[in-house]
Amino acid sequence: MDQQMREDLLKLFQTKLNRAMVYYLETCTRCGVCTTACHVYQSMPQARYIAAYRAEIVRRIYKKHFKGQGKLWPSYGEAKELTEAALQELYDAAYSCTGCRRCMVYCPFGIDTQMLMSIAKLLLVGAHAEPEILTLLADTSIEKGRSLEFFKEGFLQGVKNLEQKVVEKWKLEAEGKTVIPVDVEGAELLYVALAGAHSIIPAAAVFNAAGENWTLSFFEAVNFGAFVGDPTRTKLILDRIVNEALRLKVKEVCICECGTAYRVMKQLSGTQPFKVSSVTEVHARYLREGRIRVSKKAFEGQVVTYHDPCQIARNGGVLEEPRFILQHLTDDFREMAPDPRYNYCCGGGGGLVALGEDTLDFRMKSAKVKAEQVQKTGATVLATACENCHTQLSDLNRHYGLGLNVQFLTSMVADALVVS
Amino acid sequence: MSEAIHADKVMDLKGLPCPMPVVKVSKGIKEVAVGQILEAQTTDPGSLTDFPAWARTSGNEIVETIQENGIIRIFIRRKV
Repeated sequence: MDQQMREDLLKLFQTKLNRAMVYYLETCTRCGVCTTACHVYQSMPQARYIAAYRAEIVRRIYKKHFKGQGKLWPSYGEAKELTEAALQELYDAAYSCTGCRRCMVYCPFGIDTQMLMSIAKLLLVGAHAEPEILTLLADTSIEKGRSLEFFKEGFLQGVKNLEQKVVEKWKLEAEGKTVIPVDVEGAELLYVALAGAHSIIPAAAVFNAAGENWTLSFFEAVNFGAFVGDPTRTKLILDRIVNEALRLKVKEVCICECGTAYRVMKQLSGTQPFKVSSVTEVHARYLREGRIRVSKKAFEGQVVTYHDPCQIARNGGVLEEPRFILQHLTDDFREMAPDPRYNYCCGGGGGLVALGEDTLDFRMKSAKVKAEQVQKTGATVLATACENCHTQLSDLNRHYGLGLNVQFLTSMVADALVVS
Repeated sequence: MSEAIHADKVMDLKGLPCPMPVVKVSKGIKEVAVGQILEAQTTDPGSLTDFPAWARTSGNEIVETIQENGIIRIFIRRKV
């Protein structure tokens, strides 16, 4: 690595050094409490998968380049130069961490490993050493925002093709009402889905059943900029949705079953004239207000458990709502142990699922503890509310032969809708 | 026009969730030579916008898109 590159990367490092980050970098006492908190370490007990070890890789570079002691006596405190080899270590640490923050819950100082890994990811982006596909996916999302007119027709055609399937789930009472409204100024709620039909059809049926004044976003919710740890791309992708919500003057932005999308929208969109909700929160509200009714028949005789997506539950605070919904869908709900705040990550977060088959072997091995956690419930139906989690849990289901029916919570609600 | 298009490689991406069609095509396109055509078959309606955006970003070209019986066939020419 040449001196210019190192200086550029250290400037990027510097941008991350807010008060919280400095606290995380200077606080670890190596007590080891985080060791078994990580699902990766629990499944594959190797030192490199300990949260404190991952953090130490970033911390040593910090000591070398940002602390007087590290500059003068680098061997004291094991300060480390930012080199090509260090970048490889940063890659290994960042892309074997799913950013679930379970370790943070256990850490007596609340050290946020995901935040520390965001430094690693940013340095990798700066060095063009990040997973290329994540940046390409992020740029694809940004391109859609820049050239909406070019993509509009294809999108509207795709949405039109889904209408019949929505009606099969819930027939609109009013003749001539739009089944999947798009670009409706003054709508109450903007629903931001994923690209797939499974993210639009059931949600549309529930909105229509609830008589919601809603409109579908032109954009997909997922934020690949956040996965790759690039704040600039994260903001560009986020701004597409914020600007659309402002243009349509909606009062609520409802994010589909995508953990990263929900957390980014909820925590990074700033103060806006609309509120941000997850689709799970919205469905719980409809049930509470009697706007929709569901039957338990669809899942009669089934044992149901729920996987809390880390970015929606532990990191987003949506814990009660999915359970409230499931009370209406089944008489046999079984909670996983440990409880939701300490729930194990599915093993697919942090962009690992989006890396597809490249990470499959690691994802299956590192989430063995998750498979065991699910199996212990005796469930036949595994519900979740995140696309990433659903994909990873489906992979685990196949890999470990769990024999589960992995379901999206929204689909379960849509399939159980009954007329009031 | 579509009858005339010869795909040098066909990828069956039907039923794959987001973003897997784009992830797989990003790899698959490297398995055809520059100038050759890759056909991606998907059932994901998001592909109708994802693939054109991906093509613009990656520098490739969507030659034709056909929708028949719920299947979306996207013909992509490798340009880079």
